[in-house]
Amino acid sequence: MLWQKTRTDFWRYRSRFLLAMLSVMVGIFCVGSLFGMVDLLLSQMDSAHKHSRPSHINLMLRHDADLALLPELAKQFAPTRLDTLTTISIRYKLKAEDPEWLSALLVFRPPTALQQLDISTLSAGVWPHDDMLAIEQLSATASQLSLGDHVIVQTATATLNLPINGLIRQPFVKPPNLGGPIQFFAAPEFARHFAVPAHSFRQLLLQLPEPYNAEITRQQASHLRQFFADHQLPVNATILQDPEHHWGRPLLAGINGVLEIMALAALGLASVQILITLSAHITQQSSQIGVMKALGASGFILLKSYLLEALLLGVTALIFALPLAVMAAYLSSCKLLGLFNIACLDFVFSPRALLLMVLGGLGMTLLGALQPIIAGASLSPRLAMTGYGVYSDFGRSCVDRYLERAAAYCLSTLNAAALGNLFRRKGQLLFTQSMLIIAGIVFMVLMSLIASLQLTLDKESARNHFTVRLGLSQDSADADVMRAALSLPNSMLIELWQRFPGELSHNTQAIKQHGSLGIQLYGIPEDNALYQPQLDAGRWLIPSDHDKKVVVISAATAKLNGLSIGESLTIQSGKNSQDFEIIGIYRWITSSQFTIEPVYVPLATVRDLTHSKALTSVALLGALVSTPEQELTYLNALKQRITAAHIAVDNFSTTSKLAERKYAQQQFKPVLSTLLGLAVMICVVSGIGLSGTLSINVLQRTKEIGILSALGASEHTIFRLFLMEGCWHGFIAWMLSVPLAYGIAKPIAVQLGETMLGIQLDFSFDSYAVVYWLGLVSIITLTASYFPARKATQCTVQDCLIN
Amino acid sequence: MQPTPFIHLTHVYKDYPQAKQWQTVLHDINLTIHAHEFVAIVGASGNGKSTLLNLLSGIDTPSKGEVWVNNTPLHAINNAALTRWRGANVGIIFQFFQLLPTLNLWQNIVLPMDFLNILPKRQRRERAMHLLELVDLTDAAQRLPSEVSGGQQQRAAIARALANDPALIVADEPTGNLDAHTADAVFHLFSHLQSQGKTLVMVTHNESLAAAAPRKITVSAGRIASDTQAQTE
Repeated sequence: MLWQKTRTDFWRYRSRFLLAMLSVMVGIFCVGSLFGMVDLLLSQMDSAHKHSRPSHINLMLRHDADLALLPELAKQFAPTRLDTLTTISIRYKLKAEDPEWLSALLVFRPPTALQQLDISTLSAGVWPHDDMLAIEQLSATASQLSLGDHVIVQTATATLNLPINGLIRQPFVKPPNLGGPIQFFAAPEFARHFAVPAHSFRQLLLQLPEPYNAEITRQQASHLRQFFADHQLPVNATILQDPEHHWGRPLLAGINGVLEIMALAALGLASVQILITLSAHITQQSSQIGVMKALGASGFILLKSYLLEALLLGVTALIFALPLAVMAAYLSSCKLLGLFNIACLDFVFSPRALLLMVLGGLGMTLLGALQPIIAGASLSPRLAMTGYGVYSDFGRSCVDRYLERAAAYCLSTLNAAALGNLFRRKGQLLFTQSMLIIAGIVFMVLMSLIASLQLTLDKESARNHFTVRLGLSQDSADADVMRAALSLPNSMLIELWQRFPGELSHNTQAIKQHGSLGIQLYGIPEDNALYQPQLDAGRWLIPSDHDKKVVVISAATAKLNGLSIGESLTIQSGKNSQDFEIIGIYRWITSSQFTIEPVYVPLATVRDLTHSKALTSVALLGALVSTPEQELTYLNALKQRITAAHIAVDNFSTTSKLAERKYAQQQFKPVLSTLLGLAVMICVVSGIGLSGTLSINVLQRTKEIGILSALGASEHTIFRLFLMEGCWHGFIAWMLSVPLAYGIAKPIAVQLGETMLGIQLDFSFDSYAVVYWLGLVSIITLTASYFPARKATQCTVQDCLIN
Repeated sequence: MQPTPFIHLTHVYKDYPQAKQWQTVLHDINLTIHAHEFVAIVGASGNGKSTLLNLLSGIDTPSKGEVWVNNTPLHAINNAALTRWRGANVGIIFQFFQLLPTLNLWQNIVLPMDFLNILPKRQRRERAMHLLELVDLTDAAQRLPSEVSGGQQQRAAIARALANDPALIVADEPTGNLDAHTADAVFHLFSHLQSQGKTLVMVTHNESLAAAAPRKITVSAGRIASDTQAQTE
């Protein structure tokens, strides 16, 4: 009998249950797809990472080091594995007649079997030997080069037309579409064409004895840096890697956390929808409950009966949502793995996500259903069977009376009725409004996050008055760089910076650093005008700082070490060390574990300290360009002039302002798109919720519809009444969500910026989002109200009155 | 001279689907009600009296036969036209008052005028206040239905029925939910309306009220069992 009743209820109220099921489906789908995606992504990233035999320490040297250093180094540090490679910047063309050279990196590495660490593997073709090249697979996609193509490469002495015979996967690569360079591979012997000394290396990879310990590794890395410094070989960058966890994990940790919270929120909203549906269902069946109780049904029997309905609803939603979510998790993880240059494996699913879908889907359904079911089951027969005419469920509270007075004063009767109807079932109103308001807040916060990101990038862009930041592979004489760069007619301004090796300490203790191990100590000229970072405290370097011992450090490092303006830091460069006063703390916008923190000091001071010659490591150039195309043309021309002057350009650190801005936006695009996708999901759930509420209103007020029709209300009038109720819902939700979003957007957007994007944002509330949300909520409410309003008109007057 | 029939039903049948067969609720009803009459329809529950009231108020249509009210063939017009006709020509009073709970009393009375849109807005409000005065509810005009008594709600429902000045007033058990004293007051209001030229048809279980009506029709097993006129003094 219980089963029969459940089946009948489902069929009779199919549209109501369908809506509730849809929202549970969306909730389960969000949880399954996002948790599944995160699990698959992380597990496959770790698996690929371990497979590549990751180095614990990766040191990038500024100059070529002799391989003869390795035995001494092995003796001193006792690594379990040691490997070396050399990467240089090169210029290439696709066709001889192409007017301009393109920039790329060329990695000299032996075949996979001879590699010890950070294994690069052959994906297709052959490993390069003799006069041939291979291309990194992400570079191949970005440059549209494939096996069999030829490229013209400029060597130290000639130009060579080289075939690309291999496709290689490199485990540690910045994708070209995010600003990473194109990478080619060649055999180590081929390095002779580029004046790379024989038996030398530019990069050292090292694995320490197991088990991996981050602190010991950090200490050893510091000692290694000192080892190379002692051999007059400054280290450009030091990267530490946990062998068990992929290097991309920290980049995803914040994003994943936020996505998972939003998925759970979607499931929570679905649970609210169940609560609304079951409340309405039980209210409508209260007389039936009364009869059953009068006939001797216990509360437990009724509880069982309605819980069975809720369970069935949850199971059905699960059956539909589960395969979709599993598939979506797999496909989205494959797409994201592509960003990390990891091939997607055969179809797999996450057991944790499956468990969450089953437990979460059924649990939240039953949880949402529990309160109305218990309330229904505990109704007394007398109360359950009492119910006459149109419910007088309005006017009992002072809110109702104030609302009615205000509506009577300024609204038409139909509008006043629609507004009043909203407040008849306050619990339902609260839940429906909560869903719409949450959707609105999520939408406006995300839009503000995007606006803040734009503002931050705009401000950063405005502070940068240069067109190109030219990085040099080897420090070169100021005069040579200046002469070559200013020989271009477009070049208007130039500023030459010098980079020094350096270590920071405070009260004799090495300071903790936010980014990659080590610092980039930049000597800034006294007439610096082309760049200034955003300052959180203190001031930037000024001409009167010439030969003063003052330093500007990052806010992250200041916070990590409890440093403030006025305190002193010891800077050691080579064998020299001096105390410097902190005069400024800047915001490091693009900090990450793989970027090396810049520390700024007056150029004259540091040259004096290190007894260094006037050399240039980085040149900032201001030029007459206004479009990205002009900028690119200028950059290419500049590189050609610089190379023609026998100055080696470092393609990795050479950037242009507009292109950088584009890459920064592209870098954040996947995260922002995913967030907006989730916001849409939440809007869908809230729309389903509203539609469900209105459908239930139609069912609960069937008699009222009959009365209106009997009094002469046309179908159009009844349609309008319910449509207006939906619009009132939307309007109230909009009115409430705007101030709430305005109040909480800043802390949330700033936190999201730090957690998900890894940058400190300049907050900007997106005013347009308020208008967009009004448009969106109007569409949601009109769509959600249309079908319930249509349904209300389809009831004939006699049917409505009999109901 | 014979007065013109205001309501005229000829060979009316009404069937409802029930399980796998049709159940005939009204059998071959022939009935004439003249303008300005006050008719009470009585009978046991389930005998078809409410169905009969629904047919002559345009809430329902016959399965067979003709229903003419004030020269309008209700059996031959579609739902939308019936709705418009009902709003303009019939005032309906329900047993449970059925006032909209979210509107105050005068708004409830304005509502049918809004549906029909025949008077300027200011006049609708004035008319609503006038009707509330007629049923002695001027002081409660701004109150919600939940804030007034059952008797007051029913008087407001009567005022609402008069909103569009219909020629016909139908009432389904109008005193069924009222105490005897209030029921008498409502009945006197009906008598007053009749004297003002309205045609009234009332379904009731209350034998004493039915007896007080000038004409009493008894419905039994879907047929008119008796049709009696009260003796005029």
